[in-house]
Amino acid sequence: MEIALIGNPNTGKTSLFNNLTGSYEYVGNWSGVTVEKKVGVFKNNIGHLIDLPGVYTLNPLSRDEGVVTSFFLNESVDRLLNILDASQLERNLNLTLQLLEYERPVLIGLNMIDVANKRGIQIDVSKFSSLLGVPVVPVVARSGKGCDKLVDVISTKSVEPAKKNLVYYGKEVEAAIISLSKEIEGKTEQSLRFLAIQYFEGNEQVKNYLHTITDSVTLSKIHSALEAELQNRYNSKSLSNFIYLKRKETIDKIVAEAAVKKSTVVPLSEKIDMIVTNKFLGIPIFLMFMYLLFMLTFDWVGTPLSDALDALLTGPVTGFFESALTTIHASAFIHALIIEGLVAGVGGVLVFVPQIFILFFFISLLEDSGYMARVALVMDRIMESVGLNGKAFIPMIIGFGCNVPGIMAARTIETPKERLLTILLTPLMSCSARLPVYALFVGAFFAGHRALIVLSLYVLGIVVALILAKIFSSTILKSETSLFVIELPPYRMPQFQSLWRSTWDKAKGFIRKAGTFIFAGSVFIWLLSYAGPGGLDVDMDHSFLAMIGGVIAPLLAPIGFGTWQAAASLITGFLAKESIIATMNIIYFVPNDSSLQGLLANYYTPLAAYSFMVFILLYIPCLATTATIYKETGSKKWTVFSVVYALFIAYVLSLIIYQGGKLFGLV
Amino acid sequence: MIASIILGAAIFGYAAWAFVRFINKSKKGKCAACELKNSCKSDCGLPPKIS
Amino acid sequence: MFTSFKAGEKGKIVDLSHVNHLVQRRLLDLGITEGTEVCVKCVMPFGGPIMIESCGQCIGIRRKEAVQMEVVKV
Repeated sequence: MEIALIGNPNTGKTSLFNNLTGSYEYVGNWSGVTVEKKVGVFKNNIGHLIDLPGVYTLNPLSRDEGVVTSFFLNESVDRLLNILDASQLERNLNLTLQLLEYERPVLIGLNMIDVANKRGIQIDVSKFSSLLGVPVVPVVARSGKGCDKLVDVISTKSVEPAKKNLVYYGKEVEAAIISLSKEIEGKTEQSLRFLAIQYFEGNEQVKNYLHTITDSVTLSKIHSALEAELQNRYNSKSLSNFIYLKRKETIDKIVAEAAVKKSTVVPLSEKIDMIVTNKFLGIPIFLMFMYLLFMLTFDWVGTPLSDALDALLTGPVTGFFESALTTIHASAFIHALIIEGLVAGVGGVLVFVPQIFILFFFISLLEDSGYMARVALVMDRIMESVGLNGKAFIPMIIGFGCNVPGIMAARTIETPKERLLTILLTPLMSCSARLPVYALFVGAFFAGHRALIVLSLYVLGIVVALILAKIFSSTILKSETSLFVIELPPYRMPQFQSLWRSTWDKAKGFIRKAGTFIFAGSVFIWLLSYAGPGGLDVDMDHSFLAMIGGVIAPLLAPIGFGTWQAAASLITGFLAKESIIATMNIIYFVPNDSSLQGLLANYYTPLAAYSFMVFILLYIPCLATTATIYKETGSKKWTVFSVVYALFIAYVLSLIIYQGGKLFGLV
Repeated sequence: MIASIILGAAIFGYAAWAFVRFINKSKKGKCAACELKNSCKSDCGLPPKIS
Repeated sequence: MFTSFKAGEKGKIVDLSHVNHLVQRRLLDLGITEGTEVCVKCVMPFGGPIMIESCGQCIGIRRKEAVQMEVVKV
């Protein structure tokens, strides 16, 4: 049995999906967390549950909404599980009525009753259920309350819609529905009434679908005749508006009968909003939040923890491996492979786990609390001036964690040009994999101002993205229309457990990568540094790795780090940015206790180190990001462009910083 | 000596496997944290077109 | 005119027909149409967006779109 989860954005569909399937999908408190279709298996194995992006109506405006409409047109589904936000019944029912027209069994999960109660809204569930003619189950998606009942109802009760044609659209429209139905009868498996109404509403996807199965001229004749008739008789603005009003009548009737509203107190949300979206404090508060994040990550908590982990690794752990290798009389080759390759490479990446956790914790906090949409609102003015809109800031913030979901999040942006622009610029956001590089270098060169230097890099990424947005939007990506309407969800006190859950979920990717790709990468990098034309165990300067790096190194000399070591680590960075650190740990391997940080001072000046960090920040999207850009734009041209312009910008900026810095007497 | 050979073979074998798997996964545009793995049958959305 | 509203003032939407049609659609999705009562919550500086509330739902829209909405104070 296939069951599709559908509902308005930010009503808790994914929370419910996680509860019902026992999986852990990405959730957050803003509209557009889920941008793709996801399939999971019910805990008790009664079938598949399909999580769809949130939509207000089946008539799509943006790409993520298009996913839902095309699902409805092209795939068969046994049951629909419609999640409603009880505090916003009217708006949610607009979608429900369209779903009922689809004529598949529908089951309603009524979520956020607690929020509704706080607003003074009481809902009579059984009355509500009988008015709609479908079963209604109250649930609390966040905690999972009511989920058992929901599963019960799904798997046992027949959920055939009892009342057909809940909305009566007036005799003119109904007549037109019948004549259009006749045209397409027998040519499709979907509900004819549903298709007809969606067609009249101006749903482009349904229109294209109908044009593939029948004659477009006849259809448009029916459409325009109906529109003209309605205009004559009722002076209606447009057919879609007429349909909307008819639905609204029905909704108002249902809500009046099933829900009671009392006047209420001012919710806490609005009090918080007065501060965080304050006229003048909005942007400073956001920057303060970022600064706090970096202080915690690099000064107060993260670095001490990392240092402790590093001490553990270079001391006891290395000692353990040493003695184990001696016991089994391992050869010199294996000894070097494990100690100089794996422990140095994988361990060198793992020491940054505490910092990664703190970063992800803050991103999760941002997502869960409801602040995310506010940031978009606060940033809109700046974004508008560079040809983007405030919503583009959300993918960028997600990009601080990992660029891949950031780029996917751009699907919620309605206008194609703005979406493409956001996709191209999101890789400039400094993802968590770049963080270890900063941590290492600020520790070695800027110990007094760690947080400030890292903040400067993140801000530089944003500023470069904004400048490029301005350049691109006024040259190659001109667009006239820009759209910005954003829903601001009520604030929610993040629960520690769910915060921990989403932090862990994001951070475990980092750990997993250390155990798989970084492990593999370390082995190969070590091998390349161990072997050379002269055989095995050569001096590292004569290894294959030095030869490969040496080819590129001269190009990097003008920007301050023309060494084969830097070049070699940059090459591996394309596959995954974490491997830059793993490579450096292997190349600069120091057998005794002296740290990599101390050693780096011999190879870089502070100015060159900053130039290097800027280059790492911008130089190229990693392999997974490049593939996502290709998938999301469907264009080789733009994919290549995203790689090439990033390399160019990185080089130019590093050049300016290094050469300019030298002019000013910095070293 | 035998221990060394077994250890070496295991490390290189695992490394090669992990490397190939990672590259394949990356090429599909999945980030490391992607949980869907086997349960996801979707091709994740529409074939998008941007001019 | 919306832009003459101060934060905290309420109004009723009279005419939306001059607003960009995509914005109109989105507002309709969110349940905002002619006849809806809205309350201005907050106005961003430097011509930035404004935040309005209707039926307990907060929405951010741009100033230039708000200008095109015809609203009367209530």
